[in-house]
Amino acid sequence: MNATRVIGSAWRSLARSKLRSFFMMLGVIVGVAALTALASVGEATRQETMRQFKRMLGTFDTLTVRPGAGSTRGMPSLGSVEPSLKFPDGPAIAAGVPGVKRVALVQQAFDLDVSYRDATTVPLVLGVSPNWADIRGEVVASGAHLSEEDDGSLARVTVIGADVARDLFHGENPLGKVIRIADVPFQVKGVMASRGAGPGGASLDNMLVIPVSTAAKRLFNRDYLTTLVVQLVDANASDRVAEDVRALLRERHRIIPPAQDDFTVGSPRATLAQITRVGSTLSKVVTGVAVIATLIGGAVIMSLMLIGVSERRREIGVRRAVGATRADVMQQFLVEAILISAFGGAVGILIGAGGATVGALLQKLPPAYMWSMIGGAVALSVAVGVIFGLYPAWKAANVDPIEALRS
Amino acid sequence: MNMIEASHLSRTYQRGDGTPVTALRDVSFVIAAGEFVVIRGASGSGKSSLLNILGCLDTPGSGSYRLAGEDVSALPDDARSHVRSKHVGFVFQSFNLLPRATAVENVELPALYTGASPDRARAQELLERVGLGARADHFATELSGGEQQRVAIARALMNDPPLLLADEPTGNLDSAAGESVMQLLTSLHEGGRTIVLVTHDEHVASFADREIVIRDGVIASDTVRRERRQA
Ligand SMILES: Nc1ncnc2c1ncn2[C@@H]1O[C@H](COP(=O)(O)OP(=O)(O)OP(=O)(O)O)[C@@H](O)[C@H]1O
Ligand SMILES: [Mg+2]
Repeated sequence: MNATRVIGSAWRSLARSKLRSFFMMLGVIVGVAALTALASVGEATRQETMRQFKRMLGTFDTLTVRPGAGSTRGMPSLGSVEPSLKFPDGPAIAAGVPGVKRVALVQQAFDLDVSYRDATTVPLVLGVSPNWADIRGEVVASGAHLSEEDDGSLARVTVIGADVARDLFHGENPLGKVIRIADVPFQVKGVMASRGAGPGGASLDNMLVIPVSTAAKRLFNRDYLTTLVVQLVDANASDRVAEDVRALLRERHRIIPPAQDDFTVGSPRATLAQITRVGSTLSKVVTGVAVIATLIGGAVIMSLMLIGVSERRREIGVRRAVGATRADVMQQFLVEAILISAFGGAVGILIGAGGATVGALLQKLPPAYMWSMIGGAVALSVAVGVIFGLYPAWKAANVDPIEALRS
Repeated sequence: MNMIEASHLSRTYQRGDGTPVTALRDVSFVIAAGEFVVIRGASGSGKSSLLNILGCLDTPGSGSYRLAGEDVSALPDDARSHVRSKHVGFVFQSFNLLPRATAVENVELPALYTGASPDRARAQELLERVGLGARADHFATELSGGEQQRVAIARALMNDPPLLLADEPTGNLDSAAGESVMQLLTSLHEGGRTIVLVTHDEHVASFADREIVIRDGVIASDTVRRERRQA
């Protein structure tokens, strides 16, 4: 029998008992729809996490150096970090490690009161070198970025984030106004364009920047840094550059292994990869549940097919009497099972993708579809048809035609 | 040429409790191509058992059986399917049409298993030949018993087999419908086909040229009822 006839006759046979066919499909529809929807919602969420990190970091093509051994949890603040990372370490890395484009210096604190007249807020306060804004691709909504002159002259100027502008100025134009950071007066030189939400949906605009030299000498009175942002020439070389940075800093800090490093070099890209891997652990659980649902669908197909085989014994007998071999009968039932589950899979994908789209739009995310998962769902539904169709088909093939035809 | 050469056929079944039942015992006969033979005997005498072997649905426990010159007594299952497909058309007492298929689809069924391309036109032509051309698209369940049996005969003819086997084909029909089925079989016999028919009915038996009577699995008599008509 040729393929189109086999499929055509299986299709007719299914079409003539629609209700039964529908019930056979139901489990696979539910399983595959869940698989598709969950995977796609997961993918939309993962992509959103990526975007949030990208907004927070500005760029992935950097390494970060922080004081202290081991990865620092949470945000480092000047008051709490080890004083091991010094200002000259920055230029030394920029000059001494090939593949490094620029290095930005950062001192940060997030426990300082910032006020203007009666209004007070506690934003993240960053002392940054003049190249910081450019490395991160920051944009000012009004005014100007911090300049080399500001840093050289220890100018008390600041560029404030959109939230700070809103909280302190309530619509008033902040440019030229003087605000107090821990009671030290700073003139507002610029307002940054809003960066939106970072990881976890927190605002990235509740911050302000001042020249790092000013910060060190006129605000914090500290000569060490909380972060060095090392911009790479080639993002793919980040492992090698990180190794070279470590070697250089060990030399500068006179650390001889096995003594522990007093700094940590991190790669935002690696961190992100780890975070999305954690995400995928969750999606594995979800996938497992949907796979189980699909397998239950397969078991339903099997039991209904077994009933079908016993109800259709006479049909099988007739087919055998007019010349069908065991293989022909086996093939017929197997094709029916595969058609059922593949069709159920197709319906499931449509429902799942539709659900994922609605879900993403409700979360105000651009919908994303995890095509690998959808491909997997298709393969799974066909496999379910084969696996769960095999036994009923084998049963059908072994129906004794003489027995089946006896009236 | 001999269509059927059965020599020393025996068939023993195992009952559910393991005791053997011998349905056929040392049965030998020859049926020439073109004969119309009726097999008669009491219920349980072994008629259906014999017909199943003749139709290659079953194999004899011992003895040999040649169908159209080929020894088919020990063929594997697949090969017997192919022999049935090519040489044998079955007609059953209970018609055995596929209920979820139309008349013309039922007639076409045997062609599905020949590897040839589908031949809807031939199926339609056969339906016309049994007088049911207008019922081609009716489902089996929408036809009367007599009509169903005529569709079943058209189905048996689909692959143009030389041998037709019918087990009580009129057993479920009233006398008018039975008569038209017998007329149809007679005309097929006149067209040159070999027909072996199992029946209890004396009137049905009267259509045949020859009568084999079976009693308790052995041939009790084998008589010519009338001289063979020349086709
Ligand atoms: N599958 C089987 N298992 C066990 N015994 C069987 C089986 N098939 C037939 N028999 C037995 O073999 C004997 C012959 O049966 P068979 O069906 O050939 O008779 P028959 O002449 O066709 O009878 P009827 O006129 O009632 O159809 C009977 O005793 C029957 O009980
Ligand atoms: Mg019988």
